[in-house]
Amino acid sequence: METRLIKKDLLAGLIKGLAQDTLVYAPVQDEDNVLFKVLEKGMEPLTEYDNTKNAPKNFFFPQQETLMRYLKKERGSELLGVPGVTAEAVLFGVRPCDARSFVLLDNIFDDPQYRDPYYVDRREKTTIISIACTRPPYTACFCTSVGGHPLSSEGVDVSLIDLGDNWLAEFVTEKGEKLMKKLGDLPKGDEQWASKKEALAEKAAGAITTKIPGKDIKPWLDENFDHPFWDTIHASCLACGTCTYLCPTCHCFDITDEIKKSDGRRVRSWDSCMYWLFTHETSGHNPRTSQKQRWRQRFMHKFKYFVDNFDAIACVGCGRCVMYCPVNIDIRKIAQDISKL
Amino acid sequence: MENIEKQLREAAGKLLSEKKVDALVGYEKGTLPYQTAPCVITEPGEADKLVWNSFCSVNLAKYVHDIIFQHRESQKRVKPEDRKKKVVGIVARGCTTRSIILHLQEKQYERDEVVIIGVPCAGYVSNKKLNLAAKGKEIVECSFDGDTLAAVTQAGSMSIPLKEVLSDSCLSCRYNNPIISDMMIGNPAPPMNPGSEYVNVDEFENLSDEDRWKYFSKEMAKCIRCYACRNTCPSCYCKVCFVEQSQPKWVGVSIDESDTQVFQIMRIFHQVGRCVDCGSCIEVCPMGVDLRKFLKKLDKDGVNLFEHRAGESLDSPPPLSAHSTYDKEEFIFEP
Repeated sequence: METRLIKKDLLAGLIKGLAQDTLVYAPVQDEDNVLFKVLEKGMEPLTEYDNTKNAPKNFFFPQQETLMRYLKKERGSELLGVPGVTAEAVLFGVRPCDARSFVLLDNIFDDPQYRDPYYVDRREKTTIISIACTRPPYTACFCTSVGGHPLSSEGVDVSLIDLGDNWLAEFVTEKGEKLMKKLGDLPKGDEQWASKKEALAEKAAGAITTKIPGKDIKPWLDENFDHPFWDTIHASCLACGTCTYLCPTCHCFDITDEIKKSDGRRVRSWDSCMYWLFTHETSGHNPRTSQKQRWRQRFMHKFKYFVDNFDAIACVGCGRCVMYCPVNIDIRKIAQDISKL
Repeated sequence: MENIEKQLREAAGKLLSEKKVDALVGYEKGTLPYQTAPCVITEPGEADKLVWNSFCSVNLAKYVHDIIFQHRESQKRVKPEDRKKKVVGIVARGCTTRSIILHLQEKQYERDEVVIIGVPCAGYVSNKKLNLAAKGKEIVECSFDGDTLAAVTQAGSMSIPLKEVLSDSCLSCRYNNPIISDMMIGNPAPPMNPGSEYVNVDEFENLSDEDRWKYFSKEMAKCIRCYACRNTCPSCYCKVCFVEQSQPKWVGVSIDESDTQVFQIMRIFHQVGRCVDCGSCIEVCPMGVDLRKFLKKLDKDGVNLFEHRAGESLDSPPPLSAHSTYDKEEFIFEP
């Protein structure tokens, strides 16, 4: 693996340079929030930030996406084609937890049988640059409990690690090495890096003090769909979509036809299992009538069904749902409470 | 504050043990140092987990409405003669009681279905302002020390005057003591500064049409359509919101600029004379959309045109639900 050193104050400029001719999606300050946004020409990305409020999954799986356009005619409709292929892009400043979300989402959208062309196209053309968490940003972080690591390069093409005066760039994949050539001449990284990384990784992982039971609670979940415990978590839930819309791994969507006069669009938009409409059937019947059932679904999907299907927990431990739930329903506590049952 | 908490727990425990209420809505300690969580308790033993402090933010009246309506739904399977009322207790500050008054005026439930434990309120901490004061850093420890907030972030510790981080709704609150209650706890809270209520609105009104629209568009562009604002709002209790109706479909589901704006404009317009300025919609918004400016503008119009403030008294119905021959009409004929 190739490694290079990038001077601390040069990084933002390098990425700004990339944005001259490439689509770059990066963390920027947007009033009170740090958000992933398209880096407009001349803008510099943040390199020192905790984590973004919106998850970078938005780039591959946007909140709304036109799948095709059509012309509504007096009888039937005429297909106007599907949106063109996307351009090469760089996704800069992804935290390792969020980068793992791409690996998890690939299970869904890049399934050999049901390949989602929109997601896969962007995924293939995008080079992902992560900024490792040498100092995990939040006490709500719990990546190490769900299969992640603050210095992990899983799902990453280029991993940047803070060494004080310099960023150490690890070019993990071929895509990453291709990008390295675009960055110009950079000094090589330390030969002894591998051994030093170990100590850094251990320190970073040690700083994550929140522990939740991950796969350990799976046997309980397998057996206890009807357990009274499920009555105890939803009472204060507002049934809003904050947790699911900020979550890097939530991926449920709805497909609707949006028609203005005769211009039709088939649109895929995010949906949330927290909404009653999510399971509302055309007949008027709703198999999930209460927030209890919706909460159980959300938790089970992450900690049981996804594990059944793909042998991984559909949670990367970023802490967004913990910090931004308006009524402080804490998924860490739910997992911990279940482990005590 | 501890004294209020003690009395609150006693009162709540008593209501539950004497079966005066079937459930009680209050706040409990949260898992984050700067948050409390709304909770619904049904056993007297649970009363000890109730808390009352400046982190108690969201208006709990919505829960009362939801609990009663869920109960009525379940009663549909019970023979009419065997149907029972469900009585819900609530820990209520001034704005919460305004919402209850609005519910009662709009015939959502009867007065005997809710038992109000009134608490005086010195305002709650706005998460958005707290985040700004902490310069975006996560607060890992936080405690009250009189009129200041002692906070520890990863960048170090700081002392924040409480006034700087109280919600805007609280700073200009006119009703920080409960308007109606079945029992009161603590001494009445000192007044806030209602004189400054419309300062932001006045400034906004003086902007040009273009600038006002620009500001509105900018704020609405932040919205992710999570509906936290609508779902926490005690005045937003439609069984099916127009956003979710599909026959006819009023608004698209996407975050296209126009869809988001239509959702927000229509929600805001449904609040004429009904918004109690509890600030919950602003407090729960994960993206920090400034909804208050627009809601306050309607509130100001309600005061100027109809001399009405939402939920200020049981005898003063929302202006759009009542008719008077003296109602102003200039805004219709000479807009």
